[in-house]
This record gives sequence, C-alpha cells and structure tokens, in this order.
Amino acid sequence: MKHLKSFNKKAKMLDQATSQNEVEEVVAMQSIVGCTSVNDPGWEVDPFGGLGSLCQPMESDLYGCADACWWPAQVPDTMSSHPNWSQDVAKANEDWRKIDSVFPEE
Amino acid sequence: MKLTNMFKRAALAGAIGASALLAGCSTVNTEVAQTPDTINGMKAGGHEYILTVTRPNQLHIVDTETNQLVRTCDVPGIFGNGGIAMSPDGRIAYVMTNKWEDVYGFDITNCEIKFSAKQSYDNVTVKSFISMAVSADGKELYTVQNPVRKLSDRFETMAPRLAVFNTDDGLNAKPVRSFPVDRRITKIGSMQNGEVILGGGDLKAINPKTGEMRMIKALQNWDRAPDKWVPPDAFAMHTMGEHVGEFIMPYFTIRWNGAPGDESQADFLWGHVRIDTETGKVESFETVPFEFIVFNWVTDPNDKDVLYGSFNQLSKHNLKTGETMGVQAMDHTYYNINMTGDGKTIYIGGTSSDISVHDAATLEKIGSIQLTGDMSTSDLRLARLK
Repeated sequence: MKHLKSFNKKAKMLDQATSQNEVEEVVAMQSIVGCTSVNDPGWEVDPFGGLGSLCQPMESDLYGCADACWWPAQVPDTMSSHPNWSQDVAKANEDWRKIDSVFPEE
Repeated sequence: MKLTNMFKRAALAGAIGASALLAGCSTVNTEVAQTPDTINGMKAGGHEYILTVTRPNQLHIVDTETNQLVRTCDVPGIFGNGGIAMSPDGRIAYVMTNKWEDVYGFDITNCEIKFSAKQSYDNVTVKSFISMAVSADGKELYTVQNPVRKLSDRFETMAPRLAVFNTDDGLNAKPVRSFPVDRRITKIGSMQNGEVILGGGDLKAINPKTGEMRMIKALQNWDRAPDKWVPPDAFAMHTMGEHVGEFIMPYFTIRWNGAPGDESQADFLWGHVRIDTETGKVESFETVPFEFIVFNWVTDPNDKDVLYGSFNQLSKHNLKTGETMGVQAMDHTYYNINMTGDGKTIYIGGTSSDISVHDAATLEKIGSIQLTGDMSTSDLRLARLK
C-alpha cells in the first residue's frame, strides 16, 4: 500500500483495517477467543489467520454445523433442541431463502 | 417417494435383463454362473458402489462404473448423522438416523430393511457420534453409546459404552452386551482379529467379547516432551479406508524447533495413524505440512506412500517425503473423500448435494453426481457387493 493512496472514504476505511494493530486483533481473536465464542460475522478466521480455509460458501457448511451441534449458538442444533428445523429444505444452497431463524418459545 | 419407486422400476428392468444375460453366460462358463453376476439387478461379484445419505433422509447407492445413481432408499426418522457401516458382503448398509440415535440396516439391492435398533429408552436419550462398525464376520454391529438421563430437575450424563448388537436379531434389536469406554469416541472400525478400534483422544482397541482394552497409539496422552511437541488435535469424524483394508485417522500437531511458542521456527504438521485391519500393523507419520485443511485422508491403493485429502482443495501428498504432489481447487467445501479399489477414481462428498468425481492421477474433475439433498455430516463409503 506504500505507493497507493486511498481515494474515497470506503478505501480509507479499508486501508485502516489492514493496519498492524488490526492484524494483531485478528490474531488474538483467532488464537484466544476462537470463532465459536462470538457471533460476529467477519471476525471468523481460519487456522492460518486468513479466510481461504473457511467453508465456502456457508451454505455448504450450514447443515454440517446444525446436525452435528457444531455451532449451537449460531445455528439451530437439530441433534437435540430443534430437530425439525429446515427439515423441509433439502438443499441449502438452492433453497436458502426458505431457511428461517428460530425464536424462544413462549 | 416417487423417486424411490422410479429406481425400483429401473432395478426390476435391470434384473430382468441381467437374468437373461446370466442365463446366456451359464451355458458358456459354469464357473461364472456359480457366483451371481447380479443381485436384484445390481452387479455383484465384488462390484463397487459408493454410498451416502442426504436430506431429507435417503440412502443413495452409486455405481462406480457408470457414476450413475442406481438406487435410493428412504430412511426412517429425522436425518442425522447419515453414518454408514457396511456388512462384509457389501449387501447390508447400516445407517445412523433419527438425530444420531437409531440404526437401520438396508439391503442395498432392494431397499428392504433387515435390521433396526432404537438406542434411546425410557427417560434416557442415547446418541452415537458417528461411531458405528460391523464385525469382520458380519454377525455383530457395534456402536458407542452416549446416554443422558432426563430427570425432572436435571440431566444426568451417564458413562459412554460400547454396545454390541447381533445383526441376525432383525428389527427392534437390543444390545446383547455392553462395555464401558472412554469419552469422545467418534470413529470406530473392526479388525479381522475381532477387536474394535476406538478412535478418540487416543487410539485404543477393545475386545467386544470381554471388554478388555489395549492402547494402540497414545495421542492425547502421548509421552513426548511438551517443550518440543504440542499434543495432537484429532479430527476423527468419518470412518474410511475400506478400499484398502485400513483404518486411518488424521491429527494435527506442532513441533517446536526453537522455544515453545516460537512459530517462526516451528513445523506445523499433519499426523496420521494407519492400522491394517487384517494384520493389525500400526503406522504413524508426521510428514505432511499443515498447509491444507482436510477432514479426512485416503490411501492410494497402488502406492501406500501417497495420500489424498479434501476440503476446499483436493490435494495429493507423499507421506515419505512430505511432498505435495498436486492440488485441485474444489467448487465448494466438501467434508468427505473416498476412492475405488483400483485407485483410479476419487469421490468427494459431504456438505452439499453433489458428489465430485476426480481422476486420481491428475486430480482433474471428471464428473458430478447430483443427489436429492444435502449430505451434511453423512459418510461416503465404498461397498463391494459380493
């Protein structure tokens, strides 16, 4: 970035996001907090501190996280608490619009 | 299910055609006639099929010769996890279903249910985390049960155990024996000597007649200097290795070549334990660099120094040298991998609704098998129909 100058507001924000302090924050989140402790999209990083080894796209990982109770805070767990969640949506990548959230029962 | 009926009709037509073919062959070669060439329209005599389970809850059988779906069986209960263990004759597929609780045994040649076991009872919920295997003689089915008793004011987590079922007990089978085992066991397999391999924090073997256990390979409890090695993190999710008669389990570790924690001098490594299920010979390697995320490895039948792994890439590695022999980008993430016994074709599945087919020599994609729903956590197993 040495020879490139940020032109507009968004570019300046992107430039700031790659400052050394921000990188260290990502490393800290990766190694200390871990991706399952937070529900903050954009903060999840792979074991290498990047994005290349995250599941792609997320629809290819959605049921794998729900059925195995892998991310019970972020995805309804079908193993115990929400067994009927999205059972009528066989293909997450095609019918993702039909996948709904779950809410506490009154 | 309309789809199931369609496959049944196709199978019937195939059976009629194959019967005529068999009758013709029998006049020429009586030896061939002694071994059924087809069973209910499916090629037998060791013919290979790839099996997996998808949402909403169906078992699929793919012919590895044509890469066509030849049969789809409806599985009772809610999907989960889709684990599969094959009988040694390749005819009965035991499927884990209904939120990781029940097992159904399907005759893959006609979808008939030959076996069932509901593991939960009374106020006790029993889950099996993938851990399911069939004995080498096909007479017993093993699951690792993780029971939880629901009391009025609390959950009581009970001790995990290996449950032994007689496969001849048919529907609503109950365990005939059970033995205490460690927690965190997910990946189990059978050996020819009758022992059951228990893959978890460590690798152990249990005698399913007596419950006697022995250590095969200490991993979580290995005896290595903590300032030189990080204890392994094993991801033992799916069982495979049936194409070469082995049980293989990957793990991740770090070798500190400098001070502990000095990542600049450290080696990040994939480790593997391989067990020959016929001889019991154990091998372990820590040579492949941790440059790729994989969920599983499979061994090349033609060169056991060569491994294939998959996740966002399909990669090929030499175990002896640590060399990465090839990398192929995938269309999306896949959890699972398997290959044919001749070592020519790789099948990559899990997660979404398509199995990606690759040439093992070049890693190039040579086909795609579309299924009715997502495979999610399901197994991808090879069956040799005898």
